[in-house]
Amino acid sequence: MRSWSLLVWVALALLCVNGCKSPPKWEQGKRYFHFSARAKVGTFDPVRNSSTYDNLAQAQVYETLFEYEYLVRPFELKPLLLAKMPEVSEDSLHYKFELKHGVLFQDDPCFPEDKGKRPAGVGREVVAQDVIWSLMRMADRANSPTGWWLYRDRIKGFDAFKERMDKRASNAPFEWNTKIEGLKVSGRYSFEIQLTRPYPQLLNVLAMGTTAVVPRECAEHYGDQFAAHPVGTGAFKLDEWVRGSFLKFSKNPKYREEFYPTKASPELEQRGLLAAAGKRIPFLDGVVIHVFEQDQPMWLKFRVGDLDATQTPAEYTELVFNTDKSMRATFVQEGVGYYHLPLLDFIYRGFNMEDPVFGGMQPGATKAQTERARKVRQAISLALDTRELNHAFYNDNNVLYDGPIPPGLAGHKREGSPYRGPNLERAKQLLIEAGYPEGKGLPVLTLDTNRGGNSDEQGEMVTRQLAKIGVKMEVRQSSFPELQDKMRRKKSQFFGLAWGADYPDAENFLQLFYGPNKTPGSNKFNYDNPKYNELFEKARVLPPSPERDALYAELRDIIIEDCVAIGSMARTRDYVWNKRVHNFNPSEVWDNWFKYLDVDPL
Amino acid sequence: MWAFILRRLLGGIPIILGVTLITFLLLNVVGGDPALQMAGKNATEEDLAALRAEYGLDKPLVSQYVDYLKQTVTFDFGKSYKTKEPVVDILKQRVGPSISLTLPALIATTLLAIAIGLIAAAFRQRALDRGLMALAVTGMSISFLVYIVVGQYLLAFQLRAFQIHGYASGWGERWQYLSLPIIVLIVVGLGYDTRFYRSVLVEEIGRDHVTTAVAKGAGPTRVLTRHVLRNALIPIVTRVMISLPFLVTGSLLLESFFGIPGLGAQLLEAIESADFPVIRALTLLISVLFVLTTILNDVLYAVVDPRVRLE
Repeated sequence: MRSWSLLVWVALALLCVNGCKSPPKWEQGKRYFHFSARAKVGTFDPVRNSSTYDNLAQAQVYETLFEYEYLVRPFELKPLLLAKMPEVSEDSLHYKFELKHGVLFQDDPCFPEDKGKRPAGVGREVVAQDVIWSLMRMADRANSPTGWWLYRDRIKGFDAFKERMDKRASNAPFEWNTKIEGLKVSGRYSFEIQLTRPYPQLLNVLAMGTTAVVPRECAEHYGDQFAAHPVGTGAFKLDEWVRGSFLKFSKNPKYREEFYPTKASPELEQRGLLAAAGKRIPFLDGVVIHVFEQDQPMWLKFRVGDLDATQTPAEYTELVFNTDKSMRATFVQEGVGYYHLPLLDFIYRGFNMEDPVFGGMQPGATKAQTERARKVRQAISLALDTRELNHAFYNDNNVLYDGPIPPGLAGHKREGSPYRGPNLERAKQLLIEAGYPEGKGLPVLTLDTNRGGNSDEQGEMVTRQLAKIGVKMEVRQSSFPELQDKMRRKKSQFFGLAWGADYPDAENFLQLFYGPNKTPGSNKFNYDNPKYNELFEKARVLPPSPERDALYAELRDIIIEDCVAIGSMARTRDYVWNKRVHNFNPSEVWDNWFKYLDVDPL
Repeated sequence: MWAFILRRLLGGIPIILGVTLITFLLLNVVGGDPALQMAGKNATEEDLAALRAEYGLDKPLVSQYVDYLKQTVTFDFGKSYKTKEPVVDILKQRVGPSISLTLPALIATTLLAIAIGLIAAAFRQRALDRGLMALAVTGMSISFLVYIVVGQYLLAFQLRAFQIHGYASGWGERWQYLSLPIIVLIVVGLGYDTRFYRSVLVEEIGRDHVTTAVAKGAGPTRVLTRHVLRNALIPIVTRVMISLPFLVTGSLLLESFFGIPGLGAQLLEAIESADFPVIRALTLLISVLFVLTTILNDVLYAVVDPRVRLE
């Protein structure tokens, strides 16, 4: 028996090739921060980024004009590549920006020699023209930009320029030297943006990863491979990217002099996050982002210390946290830190308002039809028990709320909707008023969901809940591309989707119901209410103010009353980190905060 | 032989054409609109139209199919809709990790299964044979997922004998990450293969030429290796050949749980994101590999059994 056991251990030792657990040579004595990504990183080209994890990876290398204060909540913008906040004209249409001087791109072979000034391969200084070029890349269809909608119909002459570029012959070059009226370089470090109408979210947009500043010569040098060769100004540079497995970054030796923040919101100060105030950043020698498709390996890797910080997968929540969300003693004793991060999420089940029975806003619909369909939706909302869904599928971790504005933003409503379920008696009454007593005469409602996860089980639960008032429902699962296609063709009746904030402003959620954004735009509900549209047009041009907050609340209440989207929830992400990590304050609204982190060396 | 190979290659063309046609129709008719994926959150019909024009998705289906056939012939599968990288580059990056996982596992599984099969056959209907087959059946009855989850938990997490998850570009480090998934793959395959090879070998042992060899005084080792194993090579070759295309496509579950960036994971990712060029290229690759391994299989029959003639 003993010899068998010895044999097994020898075999294991051989396979392990001398010590699986010692850190690799490149990491010994260094401060590398290991973090998890829950999905693959697809691209390093900012204009093409399309996921949280694209943003996370890109933000280590590229920088935007603005970022958010690391330790201030609610979110507060601050200049990043800019020297100061912009000057804004009285009519809010004209912005003047000034870049920081001496910001350098990372060294890369894509930089040609600048005779007498700079040898080949050495990163040059960022100038105003880089910002304009980076914005112009968004108008080049060859880049497959994902964020054009953020600029559409907002910057003078930009739409016309894009339209002309879209129509150019396939072999015609992109016109980089065209002067666009609303995008003007006014000096080596200064530039101006002229808007067609006030756009108070512009500065938030300029903090989004998709607007990061890239060097044109590198984009051209690498061509199609630019998505894998990021060349930015950020605190880190990409050393290695094994697709679908990991990304390794090291400290950018040319990163300018930047410091850890000295101001913090009281609750963040209480967490000791100002201990490093005023010290030069970055503290880390590098970052490794590990990509996981499954929860078990992610969690086990965290527990053995190969990951420094991660999200707690839902199936491990009970293992880590008590019912009051505090951490269990064993983890506290190990020095594991935690933070329950509320996400700016809008998870919902929504109706296609052009469906004649459940929407009642189809072309030619009568007022009576619209009213009848609204009552049906209100009844369905009252039959829906989101608490049960939250308990069964999210360990009570999601925040339930009313309307489309998640917690943390102006206009948010936690509760008080007259249509928050379950209230079966009222739901039944509304069905009677709609002419469908006990659901009789009502066709079977079809819920379209994205295949995967527990969407099938969730569908079963909703089916059971609606059956209590006599509404019959069937669940139809599709792949995400198929689901999108159904939406575009307005073939879906009732669907489960989610929207994550692009920037922390309720406008980003309220635009989901704006008539002109109807599908294939972001208004998947095809909701087109003239009163709502008019109020939205008023609100979207206002700067943050009590007047705007009041309009946001009014818009929210229209959506609640019409029950366009029901069962609103926002996720809470349970971040945990090991003892060696310092200054950890996660955010999913912006991603270049790794530069503030520190770890004890291995 | 060369005429045979040429004939079989020509015979494979309609099969591959059929696969391309079915794949194309499945993707382009019911696979959703890739422009929607590419356009981002708030696209207009104009944005979608511009993207469809950019990628030739606005052309008639026949014309798109012809373009696809041209790509097939030239092995230029275009660019990924998602990353804009050439599809060929993506396949090159991913095929290495898949093979470094599956090839050692196939070799080890085959050798081990044949060895165990020989022992079982030699001791057929006796306690050792029954014990080995009971183990094989038990092994087969356990789900692949259980091996992965338990293996990862016990061997990598509890015993710390292996890396839990990950991959490295350098071979030295890569081995640490691949060891456990390879062991899992071997254990999973061993039950099926052992039973299969045992039944093949038992059948061979019962043949007259083996009885004659024993009667002539040949020892058990000689009988098993020269007279049994050699004559059982045809089913063995068939079994190995069937596995070859899967060496390239990898193992979806293992790649997913152990973070190995192989082609299996790539195919799933491409399906989720409606990345048609990648899906088409991978499907084509798999069908070509099947055709080629079938031909190779036939050729190897002639090599291992002189009675087989390639006509």
